[in-house]
This record gives sequence, C-alpha cells and structure tokens, in this order.
Amino acid sequence: MARLDPVDVVVVGAGLGGSAFCARLSEQAPQLRIVCLERGDWVDRSAMPASRRDWQRASLGAWATSPNIRLSADSRSPSADYPIDDSTSPIKPLMWNGVGGSTINWAAHVPRLHPSDFRTRTLDGVGDDWPFSYFDLEPYYDLNDAAMGVAGLAGDPAYPPKRSPRLPPLPIGRMGERAARGFNALGWHWWPSDAAINTVDREGRRACNNGGPCLLGCPSGAKASADIVYWPLAQRNGVTLRTRCVAHQVILQGGRAIGVAYRDQSGTTHEQPAAFTVVACNGIGTARLLLASNVGRGVDGPLGRYLMFHPIAYARGMFDEELDGPRGPVGSCIYSHEFYEHRPGRPFTRGLQLQVTRENALLHQAARIEPAWGAAAQSRLREEFRHSLAVMVVAEDLPEARNRVALGETVAADGLPEVRVEYALSPNSRRILDFGLDRGEEMLREAGAHRVARVPLAPLTGWHLLGTARMGDDPATSVTDGRGRCHAVPNLVVADGSLFPTAGAVNPGATIAALALKIADDLAREVVA
Amino acid sequence: MSAVLDTLLPGDRGAPPLPSASAAGVAAKLEYLVSGRDRALRDLVLQAIASAARSEEAFSRMDAAGRIACVRLVEAEMPGPFRALVAVVLQEYYEAEIVLLAMGWRAEPPQPQGHLLPPFDEALLAPVKRRGRIWRS
Repeated sequence: MARLDPVDVVVVGAGLGGSAFCARLSEQAPQLRIVCLERGDWVDRSAMPASRRDWQRASLGAWATSPNIRLSADSRSPSADYPIDDSTSPIKPLMWNGVGGSTINWAAHVPRLHPSDFRTRTLDGVGDDWPFSYFDLEPYYDLNDAAMGVAGLAGDPAYPPKRSPRLPPLPIGRMGERAARGFNALGWHWWPSDAAINTVDREGRRACNNGGPCLLGCPSGAKASADIVYWPLAQRNGVTLRTRCVAHQVILQGGRAIGVAYRDQSGTTHEQPAAFTVVACNGIGTARLLLASNVGRGVDGPLGRYLMFHPIAYARGMFDEELDGPRGPVGSCIYSHEFYEHRPGRPFTRGLQLQVTRENALLHQAARIEPAWGAAAQSRLREEFRHSLAVMVVAEDLPEARNRVALGETVAADGLPEVRVEYALSPNSRRILDFGLDRGEEMLREAGAHRVARVPLAPLTGWHLLGTARMGDDPATSVTDGRGRCHAVPNLVVADGSLFPTAGAVNPGATIAALALKIADDLAREVVA
Repeated sequence: MSAVLDTLLPGDRGAPPLPSASAAGVAAKLEYLVSGRDRALRDLVLQAIASAARSEEAFSRMDAAGRIACVRLVEAEMPGPFRALVAVVLQEYYEAEIVLLAMGWRAEPPQPQGHLLPPFDEALLAPVKRRGRIWRS
C-alpha cells in the first residue's frame, strides 16, 4: 500500500455533506490541506437523459433512483453503486454515488426542520433531543440557502421567520392551485415549497424552465446540486478532490484515526494519512465504512442502528379537468404542515407532512398501474394522465435500535463488506401514514376529485437515510457528540445525515447541508485556536 | 408477435384514438432488440404463449377473450419473465410519438424546451396568513 504525503483533513464522500463541509472548512481555515475521496465521478450534464427522446426509460434503468435497479440495468449508470441487501426492508434505500451525491437526482425540496424537532424528548417524551437547538443551526440554514439559492415565499406560519432572502416561488400550476383550494376549504395550512431551484438567472445558473423530471438530473443547472454549488468554492479554495477512489478503511491506531486506506480506479491501494478524518457517505455508506473499520463497539454499539427513513404513502386524486401532468419540478409544489406538530389525542406520536407532488412521466405512470397490460390498464392511464394530483404523506419515523445497517459475511466488489438494511415499519409510523392518507383523501375530495386511489406504503422512497451515526451525549446511545466527533475516536468526524438523532417529517437536504457547515466551523475554530 | 402485443396494449377509440401496440410500431422495434437478455425474454414468453394456444397460428385465430386467457396463463406460469417483457413493451409503446400525442403530450423531451406554467398567485394564501403562527417554540 502506497503511503501518500500527510494532509490535515481527509474527507470521504463528495455528496451534499462532504461538499458543504469541504467548501466551508477551506474558507474558514484556508491554511489546511484538505483531500476529498469520492467513489464516483463527476456527472456529465450534457449526457443527462432529460434532453433525449428516450428520457422516460432512463428512470427505470441507468437513472433509476435505486442503486440496486441501476446495477441490474442494461446500460451502465454514471453512478458508482454498490449493492444493498434490502430484501427484508419494506422501504428500499435510494441514493446517487458520485460528485454531488444524491443532490444529482434529488427533487431539491429544501424545507427546514421545525424548532420542536430538535426537542422531541423534552416536548413529547419520544426520540431524543438534539445536542443543539434550531436557532443554533439557523445561521447555517441561511448559509446553505445563500449558496444554493432557494425559491420560496417568506412568512410561512409553520416556521420562525427565515432571514435569508428567497427567490420568487416556483409556479404551482393548475394542480397546485387545485390542491391549495382544497386546503383552504378545510382551513388547513399550506405553503409553496422552498426549492433549491433558480426561478431567475443567478450566479451563472439559468432559471428553471419547468421541464419536470428533476430526478433525472438537471441539464441546465437550474436545480442546485452540491457538485455545482459547493465544489467550485471548495476547489477554488484549494481542496483536492480525487474521484473514483473507494475508501475501504479508516485506519485506527491508539484510539485515533490516522488516515484512510482507499483503492483508486486502477486498483492501486493507497494510505492517505491525515490529522482528521471526516466521513460523509450517507446513512448507509458511512455506517458501512465505520463498521468495516471497527469504530466503537461494533455490532453491540449504536453505530449502524437507529436507521430512520421517512415512510411515505400516497393518495392520488383523479379529476375531470385537465391538470398539468409532468410539467414543473416534480417534488416541489406545495405542502401542508397542518398535522406536523405533535398534538395529544391523535392516534400517534409526532407528525407528518402532506406534500403535493407533480405527476410522473407517462411511461412511469403506465408502469405503476397493476396489472400493467390490457384494455383496462390503458383506460385507467387515460383517466389519470394529466388529470391526477398526488398527495404524499411523509411520516416522521422515530429512532429504534432494531432498525439498522449491518455488514454481511462476504466482501463486495468494491472491497468493502456487503451491506444490508434491517428495517421494519413501526406501528406508530403506520398510524401516521393511515391518518395522513385519510387527511389527504379528505383534501382531494374537497378539491373535487371524483376518485381517490391509495398507496399505503411506497417502497421506492427511501431517499432519506438518517440516524446511523447519531449525535448525542451518551456513548451508549450515540456515536458522535454535537460536533460530529466520534465518542470512541475524537479525531474522526461524521458530516452527513447519519448524525440525525431524530428525523422530523421533512426532506433532510437543507439540514444535512447546515449540519455539515456547522461541523466545519466547529473544526475550523478548534484548528485556528 | 403482433397479436400478442395487441393483446397487451390494444389501444382504444378515445379522442384522439390510442393505437394498438403493433400500430405504434412496437413489433418492429422488438424484432431488433439490442439486448440479448430482452431478446431471450421475448422468445421465452412468446413461445410459452404459442404453446398455451397450441400454436402461433391458433393464437392469431383466437378472439380477444381467448387471447387474454392464454396470456394470463403464461403470466401466472412465469411471472418474472412475463413482467420483464411487459416492461420492455411498455417502454417502446409509451415512448412512441403517436402514443405520446394521443395521450395529449408531446414527442419532444422535457429539455431544452421546458414547459410554460402561470406564475404563482399569492392571493391564494390569504386565509393561511390570516390564521397566523402554528409552529411550537
């Protein structure tokens, strides 16, 4: 194994957490030598499928959201995936492995957690409090908003006032207006989504033209992603990014991390010594690498446990009038936080978000219908396409030790142990989804739907991989402290969604970025001092 | 093959009418499948359907109900290959220009043209604003 020149900080993973961390740390402590290792590569925007005639099939193959589906596709995916044994999990993990991570194919819906999400134990007697408050993280939410450019509207009464300026909100279309009227008729909260999507030309990135399939990447760059937002800053500040380099071990010695062993694209193994090692490979990749490196107490400890998704169900309303179809950013339209905050007397603890999403592409919708063939299937597709509106029920999953990321017995092709997800939907999450489906249907009927179909639990929605290296004060129940430092290895830092002690019920992207920025500041302060 | 494909996707007489799979050119595309895996699936399922009908000719002579019964039989016998073939057929069909247009969509991809949507009307939010804060401190 070739030993490279030591650096101050080695970061594993160039996704949202790693990117934001590198950009911020290199700005706050420019004297540091920082190297980032990324298993995947840069994505070629000109090759993204949304500009091709066969764009629809891409979402079922090389550009599918699931790494397992991409690995089994005929054409090679630009994502550098590893197989995940998710056979016993009702929710399948989704991710992108490359520079920018899952922001390459995210919906760019960037809500913040609520202040109460940081104090679930104190307020509601469940989960765990975060080591800091919403207001401690707020400046970093603002920093991320400023870096990405967030379209939205100030004044949402579901949140404390947000100080960072907003770009004009995205158009919500006929579909969003129809849903808004339904919410208004019931007297429920709703608000246009905060979206990291340009609605005006900004900083070299064009305004969104409502093309639609954000999950296939954004060829124009109107949608923010970590590769085009944070990496130009990080590289300008001197951070070295090595792509197609798979880290397979954090090297430990005497209770400290002394660097990372990795394999480059030629198959050569290197040791990158560093004073600090930072891991940001998402809730599965981070746990996999740290477990493989024997960090902490292994399978007996909290590492890999407390995995949280956001379980998702759909209520889809069919309308006589023509709506928008798959026009506009797919995941960012309007949401309701009417049932977000915990309220005693409901049949569950904590809460949910109702998120109005836009329609999928025609082929995607056709493939979803059961059975997918015959006159009845075609008739149903006629009824739905351009005439449906889906309400996504996003439930808050509570942390449970039995839900976890675990290693297999054998070594995978990338040199790391095989990884599996052990996850069962809790009764509380099920009750949240059922309640949300009832409320979603209520709104859709109020909005004029003549028929409502339900998906009780959507399997391919495991975007949000949270909690497997959670923050906390107690090493028995947490992996890191509030600065992302591993209790067992103080110079080993985590900087991604693995840190979440609780999940809230909103997309975590803004919080992942804010956390990574804060952790970078914490480290910079120590180094400078 | 056309008879099988038209059993899977018969089209309709809506306005505008939705073509059958063979009219949309799917049969011709399936003749020249690039992937060896898809070709093998196609042959496996088509042979099973012919076998269920006793022969290709017999399947072609059947009425719609008879064809559907044969296809359902094969679907039950080999669900994996059958679903995989249906997925390939759906891809070819719902990407065909004639089908996209019949469904009220367009043949061009989303980019670079994009779509027009009217701007957000903030007046819709008046009742939400009147109600005031709902977050917990």
